[in-house]
Amino acid sequence: MIDIFLSKFGIAKLAYFNIGNRYYTASEKLLALNKEIDKKPELIGTFLGEIKDGKFSPSLPLLSIIAKDTNEKVIIKEIGENDFLYGKNLRPRHILKIEGTMKEGFLKIVVNEKNECLGMAKLKKITGNEASFRNIIDLGDYLRRERK
Amino acid sequence: MNNQFTQRYEELGWEFVEVHNKHCIRVNNLKTNARELIKRLEAKGMSIKKVPFLENGYYVRSKYSLGATPEYLLGLYGSQEVASQLPVKVLKPEGLVLDACAAPGGKTAQIAEKADAVIALESQSSRIPSLVNNLERLGVSNALVYQSDARSFEAKLKFRKILVDAPCSGNFVTDKGWFEKQSLSNFNSRQKLQKEILANVLTLLEEKGELVYSTCSLEPEENEMVLQWAIEKLGLKVVPIDCIGANGLTDVFGNKLDSQIKNAKRIWPDLVGTQGFFIAKMVRK
Ligand SMILES: C[S@@+](CC[C@H](N)C(=O)[O-])C[C@H]1O[C@@H](n2cnc3c(N)ncnc32)[C@H](O)[C@@H]1O
Repeated sequence: MIDIFLSKFGIAKLAYFNIGNRYYTASEKLLALNKEIDKKPELIGTFLGEIKDGKFSPSLPLLSIIAKDTNEKVIIKEIGENDFLYGKNLRPRHILKIEGTMKEGFLKIVVNEKNECLGMAKLKKITGNEASFRNIIDLGDYLRRERK
Repeated sequence: MNNQFTQRYEELGWEFVEVHNKHCIRVNNLKTNARELIKRLEAKGMSIKKVPFLENGYYVRSKYSLGATPEYLLGLYGSQEVASQLPVKVLKPEGLVLDACAAPGGKTAQIAEKADAVIALESQSSRIPSLVNNLERLGVSNALVYQSDARSFEAKLKFRKILVDAPCSGNFVTDKGWFEKQSLSNFNSRQKLQKEILANVLTLLEEKGELVYSTCSLEPEENEMVLQWAIEKLGLKVVPIDCIGANGLTDVFGNKLDSQIKNAKRIWPDLVGTQGFFIAKMVRK
Protein backbone atom coordinates (compact mmCIF):
# COMPACT_ATOMS: atom_id res chain seq x y z
CA MET A 1 0.00 0.00 0.00
CA ILE A 2 2.92 2.30 0.74
CA ASP A 3 4.18 1.61 -2.82
CA ILE A 4 0.92 2.83 -4.33
CA PHE A 5 1.18 5.98 -2.22
CA LEU A 6 4.81 6.58 -3.28
CA SER A 7 3.94 6.03 -6.94
CA LYS A 8 1.51 8.99 -6.78
CA PHE A 9 4.60 11.14 -6.31
CA GLY A 10 6.72 9.34 -8.88
CA ILE A 11 8.89 7.68 -6.22
CA ALA A 12 9.84 4.20 -7.35
CA LYS A 13 12.13 3.02 -4.60
CA LEU A 14 12.37 3.35 -0.85
CA ALA A 15 13.67 0.66 1.48
CA TYR A 16 11.11 -0.01 4.20
CA PHE A 17 9.73 -2.71 6.45
CA ASN A 18 6.70 -3.05 8.64
CA ILE A 19 5.97 -4.07 12.18
CA GLY A 20 2.27 -4.88 12.20
CA ASN A 21 0.52 -2.03 10.40
CA ARG A 22 3.32 0.47 11.00
CA TYR A 23 6.04 1.16 8.41
CA TYR A 24 9.65 2.21 9.06
CA THR A 25 12.97 2.72 7.37
CA ALA A 26 16.11 2.05 9.42
CA SER A 27 19.82 1.40 9.00
CA GLU A 28 21.23 -2.15 9.05
CA LYS A 29 22.87 -1.22 12.32
CA LEU A 30 19.56 -0.43 14.04
CA LEU A 31 17.99 -3.59 12.67
CA ALA A 32 20.88 -5.62 14.08
CA LEU A 33 20.61 -3.89 17.48
CA ASN A 34 16.89 -4.54 17.62
CA LYS A 35 17.57 -8.26 17.21
CA GLU A 36 19.54 -8.20 20.47
CA ILE A 37 16.56 -6.92 22.42
CA ASP A 38 13.65 -9.15 23.13
CA LYS A 39 10.97 -6.48 22.86
CA LYS A 40 8.84 -4.78 20.26
CA PRO A 41 10.21 -1.30 19.54
CA GLU A 42 7.94 1.74 19.77
CA LEU A 43 10.18 3.40 17.20
CA ILE A 44 12.99 2.12 15.02
CA GLY A 45 14.76 4.60 12.75
CA THR A 46 12.22 6.70 10.87
CA PHE A 47 8.46 6.11 11.06
CA LEU A 48 6.98 6.26 7.56
CA GLY A 49 3.28 5.82 8.19
CA GLU A 50 0.62 3.30 9.03
CA ILE A 51 -2.39 1.54 7.65
CA LYS A 52 -5.50 3.07 9.22
CA ASP A 53 -9.01 1.93 8.28
CA GLY A 54 -7.58 0.07 5.31
CA LYS A 55 -5.77 3.18 3.99
CA PHE A 56 -2.11 4.19 4.11
CA SER A 57 -1.63 7.27 6.24
CA PRO A 58 1.83 8.83 5.69
CA SER A 59 3.99 10.26 8.45
CA LEU A 60 5.41 13.78 8.26
CA PRO A 61 9.00 12.44 7.89
CA LEU A 62 7.89 10.36 4.89
CA LEU A 63 6.47 13.50 3.25
CA SER A 64 9.83 15.23 3.83
CA ILE A 65 11.63 12.34 2.15
CA ILE A 66 9.23 12.49 -0.80
CA ALA A 67 9.56 16.30 -1.03
CA LYS A 68 13.23 15.92 -1.98
CA ASP A 69 12.43 13.86 -5.10
CA THR A 70 8.97 14.68 -6.35
CA ASN A 71 7.68 17.40 -8.60
CA GLU A 72 4.11 16.95 -7.34
CA LYS A 73 4.38 20.00 -5.11
CA VAL A 74 2.67 23.21 -4.16
CA ILE A 75 4.98 25.99 -3.02
CA ILE A 76 3.36 28.41 -0.62
CA LYS A 77 4.18 31.97 0.40
CA GLU A 78 5.14 32.99 3.91
CA ILE A 79 1.63 34.31 4.56
CA GLY A 80 0.22 30.89 3.73
CA GLU A 81 2.65 29.07 6.00
CA ASN A 82 1.01 30.04 9.31
CA ASP A 83 -2.52 29.39 8.04
CA PHE A 84 -1.56 25.98 6.70
CA LEU A 85 0.24 25.03 9.93
CA TYR A 86 -2.95 25.90 11.82
CA GLY A 87 -4.68 23.21 9.79
CA LYS A 88 -6.33 25.56 7.30
CA ASN A 89 -6.90 24.86 3.62
CA LEU A 90 -4.83 26.60 0.94
CA ARG A 91 -6.45 29.46 -0.98
CA PRO A 92 -5.08 31.05 -4.15
CA ARG A 93 -3.57 33.97 -2.15
CA HIS A 94 -1.42 31.50 -0.19
CA ILE A 95 0.09 29.91 -3.25
CA LEU A 96 3.29 30.87 -5.04
CA LYS A 97 3.56 28.03 -7.54
CA ILE A 98 2.07 24.64 -8.36
CA GLU A 99 4.25 21.94 -9.89
CA GLY A 100 3.30 18.62 -11.52
CA THR A 101 -0.15 17.41 -12.54
CA MET A 102 -2.96 19.98 -12.51
CA LYS A 103 -5.96 17.77 -11.87
CA GLU A 104 -8.61 17.97 -9.18
CA GLY A 105 -8.27 15.22 -6.56
CA PHE A 106 -4.46 14.97 -6.94
CA LEU A 107 -2.23 14.99 -3.87
CA LYS A 108 0.59 17.53 -3.54
CA ILE A 109 3.43 17.88 -1.07
CA VAL A 110 3.26 21.36 0.47
CA VAL A 111 6.56 23.20 0.79
CA ASN A 112 7.54 26.75 1.77
CA GLU A 113 9.78 29.03 -0.27
CA LYS A 114 12.83 27.37 1.31
CA ASN A 115 11.60 24.01 -0.01
CA GLU A 116 10.95 22.75 3.54
CA CYS A 117 8.12 20.27 3.73
CA LEU A 118 5.10 21.48 5.68
CA GLY A 119 2.63 18.71 4.91
CA MET A 120 0.32 17.42 2.19
CA ALA A 121 -2.79 18.78 0.49
CA LYS A 122 -5.32 17.65 -2.12
CA LEU A 123 -6.12 19.76 -5.15
CA LYS A 124 -9.75 20.70 -4.54
CA LYS A 125 -10.71 23.15 -7.20
CA ILE A 126 -9.16 24.72 -10.28
CA THR A 127 -10.67 28.00 -11.50
CA GLY A 128 -8.91 29.47 -14.49
CA ASN A 129 -5.28 29.97 -13.44
CA GLU A 130 -6.00 29.56 -9.76
CA ALA A 131 -6.38 26.57 -7.48
CA SER A 132 -7.33 25.77 -3.93
CA PHE A 133 -6.29 22.79 -1.84
CA ARG A 134 -7.66 20.84 1.09
CA ASN A 135 -5.24 20.39 3.99
CA ILE A 136 -4.70 16.65 4.52
CA ILE A 137 -1.87 16.84 7.05
CA ASP A 138 0.50 19.56 8.27
CA LEU A 139 3.32 19.94 10.82
CA GLY A 140 0.92 21.57 13.29
CA ASP A 141 -0.17 17.99 13.88
CA TYR A 142 2.77 17.63 16.28
CA LEU A 143 1.06 20.13 18.61
CA ARG A 144 -2.46 18.81 18.05
CA ARG A 145 -1.34 15.27 18.95
CA GLU A 146 0.16 16.42 22.24
CA ARG A 147 -3.09 18.18 23.19
CA LYS A 148 -5.20 15.05 22.66
CA MET B 1 9.97 31.85 51.71
CA ASN B 2 10.85 29.83 54.75
CA ASN B 3 9.88 26.18 55.17
CA GLN B 4 11.49 22.86 56.05
CA PHE B 5 12.92 22.54 52.53
CA THR B 6 14.44 26.01 52.33
CA GLN B 7 15.87 25.45 55.82
CA ARG B 8 17.50 22.28 54.57
CA TYR B 9 19.01 24.20 51.61
CA GLU B 10 20.40 26.70 54.08
CA GLU B 11 21.99 23.90 56.09
CA LEU B 12 23.54 22.69 52.83
CA GLY B 13 24.99 26.13 52.20
CA TRP B 14 22.48 27.77 49.84
CA GLU B 15 20.21 30.63 50.71
CA PHE B 16 16.83 30.37 49.01
CA VAL B 17 15.94 32.96 46.37
CA GLU B 18 13.07 32.98 43.87
CA VAL B 19 14.43 32.22 40.39
CA HIS B 20 12.89 32.94 37.02
CA ASN B 21 13.78 30.32 34.55
CA LYS B 22 15.07 31.89 31.30
CA HIS B 23 13.73 30.49 28.02
CA CYS B 24 16.34 28.48 26.21
CA ILE B 25 16.49 26.50 23.00
CA ARG B 26 18.87 23.88 21.65
CA VAL B 27 19.79 24.23 17.99
CA ASN B 28 19.15 20.91 16.23
CA ASN B 29 22.20 20.27 14.08
CA LEU B 30 20.49 17.30 12.45
CA LYS B 31 18.39 19.81 10.50
CA THR B 32 20.11 23.20 10.59
CA ASN B 33 22.99 25.15 12.12
CA ALA B 34 23.16 28.00 14.61
CA ARG B 35 23.95 30.71 12.05
CA GLU B 36 20.96 29.88 9.82
CA LEU B 37 18.53 29.45 12.68
CA ILE B 38 19.52 32.63 14.50
CA LYS B 39 19.09 34.61 11.29
CA ARG B 40 15.58 33.21 10.87
CA LEU B 41 14.50 33.77 14.46
CA GLU B 42 15.97 37.27 14.61
CA ALA B 43 14.07 38.13 11.45
CA LYS B 44 10.91 37.36 13.45
CA GLY B 45 11.92 39.87 16.11
CA MET B 46 13.30 37.42 18.64
CA SER B 47 16.34 38.32 20.65
CA ILE B 48 18.92 35.56 20.90
CA LYS B 49 22.01 35.15 23.07
CA LYS B 50 24.43 32.23 23.19
CA VAL B 51 24.68 30.37 26.49
CA PRO B 52 28.46 30.58 27.00
CA PHE B 53 28.92 27.15 28.58
CA LEU B 54 26.74 25.18 26.12
CA GLU B 55 27.56 24.05 22.61
CA ASN B 56 24.10 24.54 21.09
CA GLY B 57 22.13 26.40 23.74
CA TYR B 58 20.71 29.91 23.22
CA TYR B 59 18.66 32.15 25.48
CA VAL B 60 15.67 33.48 23.59
CA ARG B 61 13.33 36.37 24.26
CA SER B 62 10.27 36.17 22.07
CA LYS B 63 6.70 37.38 21.94
CA TYR B 64 5.73 34.06 20.33
CA SER B 65 5.46 30.78 22.16
CA LEU B 66 8.74 28.99 21.42
CA GLY B 67 6.94 25.67 21.23
CA ALA B 68 4.69 26.65 18.32
CA THR B 69 6.71 28.53 15.69
CA PRO B 70 7.11 27.10 12.15
CA GLU B 71 10.83 26.65 12.97
CA TYR B 72 9.93 24.57 16.01
CA LEU B 73 7.48 22.46 14.00
CA LEU B 74 10.14 21.98 11.33
CA GLY B 75 12.39 20.59 14.08
CA LEU B 76 15.10 23.22 13.68
CA TYR B 77 15.32 23.57 17.45
CA GLY B 78 14.05 22.04 20.66
CA SER B 79 12.87 24.02 23.62
CA GLN B 80 15.30 22.77 26.29
CA GLU B 81 16.07 24.42 29.59
CA VAL B 82 19.70 25.50 30.14
CA ALA B 83 20.62 23.06 32.91
CA SER B 84 18.95 20.15 31.15
CA GLN B 85 21.39 20.52 28.24
CA LEU B 86 24.33 19.82 30.56
CA PRO B 87 24.04 16.06 31.26
CA VAL B 88 24.54 15.11 27.59
CA LYS B 89 27.43 17.58 27.29
CA VAL B 90 29.04 15.78 30.23
CA LEU B 91 28.21 12.35 28.77
CA LYS B 92 30.07 13.10 25.48
CA PRO B 93 28.01 10.57 23.51
CA GLU B 94 29.83 8.18 21.16
CA GLY B 95 29.25 4.66 19.89
CA LEU B 96 26.17 2.96 21.27
CA VAL B 97 24.39 4.93 23.99
CA LEU B 98 21.59 3.96 26.38
CA ASP B 99 19.18 6.66 27.53
CA ALA B 100 17.52 4.83 30.40
CA CYS B 101 14.76 7.31 31.34
CA ALA B 102 14.01 9.06 28.11
CA ALA B 103 10.62 10.79 27.79
CA PRO B 104 9.97 13.42 26.53
CA GLY B 105 13.25 12.94 24.71
CA GLY B 106 15.07 16.28 24.79
CA LYS B 107 18.25 14.53 25.82
CA THR B 108 17.69 11.52 23.53
CA ALA B 109 17.70 13.87 20.53
CA GLN B 110 20.78 15.63 21.86
CA ILE B 111 22.55 12.26 22.21
CA ALA B 112 21.46 11.22 18.71
CA GLU B 113 23.46 14.09 17.17
CA LYS B 114 26.73 12.55 18.36
CA ALA B 115 26.15 8.82 18.94
CA ASP B 116 26.21 6.04 16.34
CA ALA B 117 22.92 4.85 17.78
CA VAL B 118 20.83 5.49 20.87
CA ILE B 119 18.50 3.13 22.65
CA ALA B 120 15.87 5.00 24.63
CA LEU B 121 13.77 3.45 27.40
CA GLU B 122 10.65 4.83 29.00
CA SER B 123 8.51 2.89 31.44
CA GLN B 124 5.30 4.95 31.25
CA SER B 125 3.17 4.12 28.23
CA SER B 126 1.48 7.53 28.47
CA ARG B 127 4.87 9.23 27.97
CA ILE B 128 5.92 7.24 24.89
CA PRO B 129 3.97 9.41 22.37
CA SER B 130 5.72 12.62 23.44
CA LEU B 131 9.09 10.88 23.18
CA VAL B 132 8.40 9.45 19.74
CA ASN B 133 6.87 12.74 18.51
CA ASN B 134 9.88 14.75 19.61
CA LEU B 135 12.33 12.38 17.93
CA GLU B 136 10.24 12.43 14.76
CA ARG B 137 9.97 16.22 14.69
CA LEU B 138 13.71 16.64 15.30
CA GLY B 139 14.55 14.23 12.47
CA VAL B 140 16.31 11.63 14.62
CA SER B 141 16.88 8.48 12.57
CA ASN B 142 19.38 6.52 14.72
CA ALA B 143 17.18 5.77 17.72
CA LEU B 144 15.37 2.70 18.97
CA VAL B 145 12.65 3.33 21.54
CA TYR B 146 11.26 0.69 23.88
CA GLN B 147 8.61 0.87 26.52
CA SER B 148 10.59 -0.72 29.30
CA ASP B 149 11.36 -0.44 32.97
CA ALA B 150 15.05 0.44 33.31
CA ARG B 151 15.13 -1.61 36.52
CA SER B 152 14.65 -4.81 34.57
CA PHE B 153 15.61 -4.01 30.94
CA GLU B 154 17.77 -6.72 29.39
CA ALA B 155 19.76 -6.81 26.14
CA LYS B 156 22.53 -8.90 24.65
CA LEU B 157 24.48 -5.67 24.22
CA LYS B 158 26.94 -3.49 26.06
CA PHE B 159 26.86 0.30 25.93
CA ARG B 160 29.83 2.66 25.77
CA LYS B 161 27.84 5.42 27.46
CA ILE B 162 24.72 5.37 29.59
CA LEU B 163 22.59 8.30 30.70
CA VAL B 164 20.34 7.89 33.73
CA ASP B 165 18.35 11.12 33.82
CA ALA B 166 16.47 9.72 36.72
CA PRO B 167 12.84 10.15 37.74
CA CYS B 168 13.02 12.49 40.75
CA SER B 169 10.96 14.77 42.93
CA GLY B 170 11.71 17.78 40.68
CA ASN B 171 12.29 21.28 42.01
CA PHE B 172 10.49 24.50 42.91
CA VAL B 173 11.62 26.51 39.87
CA THR B 174 9.66 24.60 37.25
CA ASP B 175 6.86 23.43 39.56
CA LYS B 176 5.14 26.30 41.32
CA GLY B 177 3.34 24.21 43.93
CA TRP B 178 6.41 22.10 44.63
CA PHE B 179 6.90 22.99 48.34
CA GLU B 180 3.30 22.12 49.22
CA LYS B 181 3.45 18.77 47.44
CA GLN B 182 6.71 17.38 48.75
CA SER B 183 7.70 15.24 51.70
CA LEU B 184 10.93 13.67 52.91
CA SER B 185 9.40 10.23 52.44
CA ASN B 186 8.93 11.02 48.74
CA PHE B 187 12.67 11.73 48.41
CA ASN B 188 13.41 8.38 49.99
CA SER B 189 11.03 6.42 47.78
CA ARG B 190 12.55 8.12 44.71
CA GLN B 191 16.00 7.18 46.00
CA LYS B 192 15.00 3.50 46.05
CA LEU B 193 13.88 3.69 42.41
CA GLN B 194 17.04 5.59 41.38
CA LYS B 195 19.29 2.96 42.99
CA GLU B 196 17.41 0.10 41.35
CA ILE B 197 17.74 1.74 37.93
CA LEU B 198 21.49 2.31 38.42
CA ALA B 199 22.07 -1.26 39.60
CA ASN B 200 20.40 -2.74 36.54
CA VAL B 201 21.82 -0.48 33.82
CA LEU B 202 25.32 -0.98 35.18
CA THR B 203 25.11 -4.61 33.98
CA LEU B 204 24.80 -3.19 30.44
CA LEU B 205 27.82 -0.85 30.61
CA GLU B 206 31.01 -1.74 28.72
CA GLU B 207 33.98 -2.49 30.99
CA LYS B 208 35.50 0.93 30.31
CA GLY B 209 32.17 2.64 29.71
CA GLU B 210 30.91 5.81 31.39
CA LEU B 211 27.62 6.46 33.12
CA VAL B 212 26.13 9.89 33.73
CA TYR B 213 23.59 10.23 36.52
CA SER B 214 21.47 13.37 36.64
CA THR B 215 18.34 14.66 38.33
CA CYS B 216 16.48 17.95 38.41
CA SER B 217 16.21 17.61 42.18
CA LEU B 218 18.14 19.60 44.79
CA GLU B 219 17.62 17.01 47.51
CA PRO B 220 20.76 15.14 48.69
CA GLU B 221 18.71 11.95 49.22
CA GLU B 222 18.29 11.73 45.43
CA ASN B 223 21.78 12.93 44.56
CA GLU B 224 24.87 12.70 46.78
CA MET B 225 23.38 9.87 48.85
CA VAL B 226 22.67 7.84 45.72
CA LEU B 227 26.31 8.34 44.66
CA GLN B 228 27.54 7.27 48.11
CA TRP B 229 25.56 4.06 47.72
CA ALA B 230 26.86 3.54 44.15
CA ILE B 231 30.45 3.90 45.39
CA GLU B 232 29.92 1.45 48.25
CA LYS B 233 27.59 -1.08 46.68
CA LEU B 234 28.19 -0.95 42.93
CA GLY B 235 31.94 -0.37 42.98
CA LEU B 236 31.70 2.88 41.01
CA LYS B 237 33.98 5.88 41.07
CA VAL B 238 32.78 9.49 40.62
CA VAL B 239 35.13 11.25 38.20
CA PRO B 240 35.76 14.98 37.54
CA ILE B 241 33.61 16.67 34.89
CA ASP B 242 33.77 19.86 32.91
CA CYS B 243 30.53 21.48 34.00
CA ILE B 244 29.32 24.62 35.74
CA GLY B 245 27.99 24.33 39.29
CA ALA B 246 29.05 23.90 42.88
CA ASN B 247 30.87 20.76 43.97
CA GLY B 248 28.78 17.83 45.16
CA LEU B 249 28.31 17.88 48.93
CA THR B 250 30.39 15.63 51.15
CA ASP B 251 28.73 16.68 54.39
CA VAL B 252 25.00 16.15 54.24
CA PHE B 253 23.15 17.07 57.44
CA GLY B 254 26.12 15.85 59.51
CA ASN B 255 26.72 12.66 57.45
CA LYS B 256 30.23 12.54 55.99
CA LEU B 257 30.28 11.20 52.43
CA ASP B 258 33.11 9.97 50.20
CA SER B 259 35.35 12.82 49.04
CA GLN B 260 34.99 11.80 45.33
CA ILE B 261 31.42 13.07 45.48
CA LYS B 262 32.94 16.55 45.21
CA ASN B 263 33.48 15.71 41.54
CA ALA B 264 29.72 15.85 40.94
CA LYS B 265 28.10 19.21 40.19
CA ARG B 266 25.14 20.73 41.95
CA ILE B 267 23.50 23.54 40.03
CA TRP B 268 21.68 25.80 42.45
CA PRO B 269 19.00 27.70 40.47
CA ASP B 270 20.35 31.21 40.94
CA LEU B 271 23.72 30.35 39.37
CA VAL B 272 22.53 31.02 35.82
CA GLY B 273 18.74 31.28 36.17
CA THR B 274 17.88 27.62 35.70
CA GLN B 275 15.94 24.94 37.41
CA GLY B 276 17.98 22.99 39.96
CA PHE B 277 20.12 20.18 38.62
CA PHE B 278 22.62 17.59 39.77
CA ILE B 279 25.10 15.82 37.47
CA ALA B 280 27.72 13.14 38.08
CA LYS B 281 29.85 10.92 35.87
CA MET B 282 30.75 7.46 37.11
CA VAL B 283 33.03 4.68 35.88
CA ARG B 284 33.96 1.28 37.32
CA LYS B 285 36.75 1.37 39.93
C1 LIG C 1 13.44 13.26 34.42
S1 LIG C 1 12.40 12.45 33.30
C2 LIG C 1 13.44 12.26 31.89
C3 LIG C 1 13.58 13.48 31.00
C4 LIG C 1 14.25 13.15 29.70
N1 LIG C 1 15.55 12.52 29.90
C5 LIG C 1 14.42 14.34 28.78
O1 LIG C 1 15.51 14.91 28.74
O2 LIG C 1 13.47 14.72 28.09
C6 LIG C 1 12.36 10.81 33.90
C7 LIG C 1 11.57 9.85 33.04
O3 LIG C 1 11.80 8.52 33.53
C8 LIG C 1 10.60 7.79 33.42
N2 LIG C 1 10.70 6.64 34.34
C9 LIG C 1 10.26 6.55 35.62
N3 LIG C 1 10.57 5.34 36.13
C10 LIG C 1 11.23 4.66 35.15
C11 LIG C 1 11.78 3.36 35.05
N4 LIG C 1 11.73 2.52 36.10
N5 LIG C 1 12.35 2.98 33.90
C12 LIG C 1 12.40 3.83 32.84
N6 LIG C 1 11.89 5.07 32.88
C13 LIG C 1 11.31 5.49 34.01
C14 LIG C 1 9.54 8.79 33.77
O4 LIG C 1 8.28 8.38 33.31
C15 LIG C 1 10.06 10.04 33.10
O5 LIG C 1 9.56 10.14 31.79
